[in-house]
Amino acid sequence: MPDELDEYLRGESALSRQYRREYSPVPPHALDRLLLNAARFGPGKSKSPLRSQSLAPLAFAASVLLSVALVLAMVFAPQAVKKADDKPRVLKVSVYQSDPPRAVPASPRERNPAAWLEDISALRRAGRDSEADIEMRRFRSAYPDYLIPISE
Amino acid sequence: MDFSDDDAGLMLRYRDGDAAAFSALYAEYKGPLYRYLLRHVRNAGAAADLFQEVWSRLVATRARYEPRAKFATFLFHIAHNCAVDFFRRDMNLRGETSAHEFDSPLLEPEVPEYQRPDRVAEFVEQQSALLAAVAALPHVQREAFLLREETGLSVEEIARVTDVPVETAKSRLRYAVRKLKKSLSPMQEPGVLPLRTYA
Repeated sequence: MPDELDEYLRGESALSRQYRREYSPVPPHALDRLLLNAARFGPGKSKSPLRSQSLAPLAFAASVLLSVALVLAMVFAPQAVKKADDKPRVLKVSVYQSDPPRAVPASPRERNPAAWLEDISALRRAGRDSEADIEMRRFRSAYPDYLIPISE
Repeated sequence: MDFSDDDAGLMLRYRDGDAAAFSALYAEYKGPLYRYLLRHVRNAGAAADLFQEVWSRLVATRARYEPRAKFATFLFHIAHNCAVDFFRRDMNLRGETSAHEFDSPLLEPEVPEYQRPDRVAEFVEQQSALLAAVAALPHVQREAFLLREETGLSVEEIARVTDVPVETAKSRLRYAVRKLKKSLSPMQEPGVLPLRTYA
């Protein structure tokens, strides 16, 4: 009597024929596309589509981080801009008349007496004696004890 | 189903960068591999996950592929390892040792809507006594039978895939065949419509 396993392994058993007549499910097409793409582009790039469910926590964490960053930007960024806007802006406007600015300081103490005398001499050489006299009076009030050279 | 050793050549071509070779391998093996997993783990969702995992491992390790055996042996050895991991995780989750061997319903695994040729009723109609008997087998016997039917591997190759001695593989297959033959109706002859079970 032949062994039933040997008979089965010969491939012509009723059992095998019956099994081959059964419904034969196949994987869904979406899975086909994922796997074929993964094979084409390599395992490094295939991980995402293949194991997308394992990336869900990462995606969630990224969303939370992005949300927090947006909230922080909304809370703090406008204030920073406002501070910059509130800062008073100083515009330096220089108004000149016909003459160039004079080298005469507001306080005589800020001027070097020798330089001041040189400026007065320059005014006299230019024929602006009245201005030279005014400056000389200011000089005298500022440096009453200053010894003026003879030429001046 | 008979797989030729040309498949090892296709795998070598894929290893060397030929994506079309992978497409050919995939087209040839996707059905047998999917059915092996579906009917072995008896859960459509798990089968789909394992199906992805098997191919992912193949893609990831392709650079190290060397044709030491028939390609089907190589592929289904990966599948076997994935299934073993699945059963181990399943056992840990359930906190049971082998309840799935005895408590499972004698039906084809749940199949999602998109896989059904038509509607649920038609799918249920396709549940045969044979598939119910396959699902009821102890998983090592079920695996041996499915490997034989879906891949045409020899007993020696089944032993290699499942990491057991040849005699063990032969014994498993013999028990499986004996039990399954009992599930076939004595009136059922070739060409006669298969038995149906109805939910």
